[in-house]
Amino acid sequence: MAGQDIKRRELLRAIGIAAIASHYPGFVKWAYAGAHDHASNEPTPVRSQAYTPQFFSSEEFARIERLAELIIPSDETPGAREAGVAEFVDFMVAHDTEQQKPMRAGLAWLDEQCGHRFAHPFLDVSEAQQVSLLEPLAYNARYRAGEEAGQEFFRRVKELTVMGFYSSEIGYRELDNPASRFYAESPACPHVNDPAHQHLPPPRW
Amino acid sequence: MPKLYDAVVIGTGAGGGMAIKTLCEAGLKVCAINAGRRLDPSKDFRHHRKPWDMKFRGFGDPAKRAESYGYMDNEWVEGVWEHEIPFTTAPGTRWMWPRCFAVGGKTNFWGRSSARMGDIDFRAGSLSGAGIDWPLEYREIAPFYSRVERMIGVASTVQNRPSNPDGEYLPAFNFRCLDHILQQGGQKVGIPYLPDRIAQLTRSLEGSPPCHFCGACTTGCDTGSFFSTPWRFLPRAEATGNLDLRTNALAKNVLVDENGLASGVAYIDRKTGQEVEVRSRVVVVAASCLESARIMLNSKSRIWPEGIANSSGQLGRNLCDHLYGQSAEGYLPQLLGQPSVPDNVGDCQIAWMPRWQNLENPHKEKFVNGYSVYPWGGCQEYPWNAMSIEGFGSSYKHEVKRRYPTPVTFSIQAPSLPSPTNYLDLDPEVSDKYGIPVARLHFQWDDNALRMFEHSKQACAELLHAAGAVNEGAAKDPNMPGWSLHETGTCRMGDDPKHFVTNRFGQTHDVKNLYVCDASVFPSSTDKTTTISILAFTLRTCEQMLDNFRNGVHRRA
Repeated sequence: MAGQDIKRRELLRAIGIAAIASHYPGFVKWAYAGAHDHASNEPTPVRSQAYTPQFFSSEEFARIERLAELIIPSDETPGAREAGVAEFVDFMVAHDTEQQKPMRAGLAWLDEQCGHRFAHPFLDVSEAQQVSLLEPLAYNARYRAGEEAGQEFFRRVKELTVMGFYSSEIGYRELDNPASRFYAESPACPHVNDPAHQHLPPPRW
Repeated sequence: MPKLYDAVVIGTGAGGGMAIKTLCEAGLKVCAINAGRRLDPSKDFRHHRKPWDMKFRGFGDPAKRAESYGYMDNEWVEGVWEHEIPFTTAPGTRWMWPRCFAVGGKTNFWGRSSARMGDIDFRAGSLSGAGIDWPLEYREIAPFYSRVERMIGVASTVQNRPSNPDGEYLPAFNFRCLDHILQQGGQKVGIPYLPDRIAQLTRSLEGSPPCHFCGACTTGCDTGSFFSTPWRFLPRAEATGNLDLRTNALAKNVLVDENGLASGVAYIDRKTGQEVEVRSRVVVVAASCLESARIMLNSKSRIWPEGIANSSGQLGRNLCDHLYGQSAEGYLPQLLGQPSVPDNVGDCQIAWMPRWQNLENPHKEKFVNGYSVYPWGGCQEYPWNAMSIEGFGSSYKHEVKRRYPTPVTFSIQAPSLPSPTNYLDLDPEVSDKYGIPVARLHFQWDDNALRMFEHSKQACAELLHAAGAVNEGAAKDPNMPGWSLHETGTCRMGDDPKHFVTNRFGQTHDVKNLYVCDASVFPSSTDKTTTISILAFTLRTCEQMLDNFRNGVHRRA
């Protein structure tokens, strides 16, 4: 039943897996994959002080950091900054030749637009001004003709930010991600008397 | 003198694995040839690893994107899928061909859905007026399905559906919240929504522990809790002492004697590049639908100039595939903001919508035959719906969280019809690095399958509406051909040697000591997956072969 997740090691003990596996020559040999340990409940601290970008210049990287933070901010829960998302974005772009040119051009476009509108580079204007630049790129209803390149750039940055955040330990906590837990029985819906799910408790968030 | 075996088996996947086990347990001396290496679960299955334990967080190296096979060929199983042996496509053909050459083949990572076929499938040719019937009735294969289900363990329920014979099942997976909501919607619009048939252990079976419901099945199972041949068949075969399993042995062609009978197999040792010949009384080709046809087409000799056992000219022809595509996606507002729940167990594959079209009247719809649909959804390991949510900032972050338990998608599984223009041949100009001509694919979706896809979009939209869900639309086009891994037909079985490659037992008409044990013998594609039928037909083929050893058709080595 739901909620009966059990720790990996208890599970292994319960099923005596190592003993079973040693009799299975269908594979090369058995050495249990669980050598790495997920027992710790504390997220691994993210090193961000000493990070040297692999692809972006330090000025570009600062804009990536700011964009990631605007897309997934730190509010009542940690956001892109705590999860080190900008480092992930830099790492992925460094390995992705298709992304490099449009990302670099997009960052330049952003600064240029910001200069036209507010007479300063993106990092030097207020948060409200930054948001006002991004909104027409982010919402269909507010799209402006002539900003297609900016919309495409925002989609790229948002996608990498979302990938970096929700694949991080902090992102897992944000969603209370139930992946890779272990259950003794196939987890079941707990609302047995309400199959249409019309009478659930109020939304938690 | 090289050793003489009773049988050489090419391939160790579902068909090869069943053949190897059955023949070894009957006392035959078997040499199994496998194109790849043995896997090591501790290194090759990384399914319990978190994304942040991997270099590219599980998304994979962008530089390798072009050669990736997509969802199964990812960072969790890097180095397992085949990339060295190329293939080509005829002009206008698009084909995706994920091949696992490791010991166990695709059974290491398969989707596990395991419905029996029935007379509605075997008689589809005469019922629909399109295609051909299978050369047997359901009652002949039913006992083999039962034995296979007992051997591998299939979790489901008895459903009494006219399209789907029931089998012998372990307890089914429990329905999740989203399943109950969608089932209610299905009831309102007359679409069945039921527990799938999943070859996954909800109870322990013959020493294999039950599933621990981690949800990462398609990247391998470290407890052997769903069926794969390295966990369940090969150890039993090796225990008999009758098996010689040769790895990194890429089958090149079937050898023939002066009478045109099979006398063994020539393979390339991929470690040395040397060609090796292994001799046997009987040859079993079980390299998967397309590879088996390629090997047989490449087995040219004076007696078989167009490929071994190809006097019908049907070898490589009649290629069918399952059309897959997203029939609908949406979300369930009932679950907005509800706590996260473990929906991603069994890779989210809990339920199915078994064929409900053309049951009483085979010509009721604008297409013949029928299709099934697989629903997916709920809390996934990664929130794939996040990019379809507009905006940014705290409101966006909040909405991703609110929507996390709610997404649902529907994927159609629709059979294509055999067509003279859908086939595989050997590319006359391209060879692999070992000098073996590569397979060339010729394939287009037919109108019948495309009409099913459009029908499924309407049906799923109606179901979503009836379930109170928000419908966010369907994919315009189906997935690329080959994506399903369910190819059939290239060595089709039938009674008439003029039109069929093998007889009803998978024994080739032309070469009595050559057997085919994979989905290539299936004369048509159905709305069902192929693996459990490969297992059942292979078991039947091997028992027929053993009878032939007993009654003198084949001599022991």
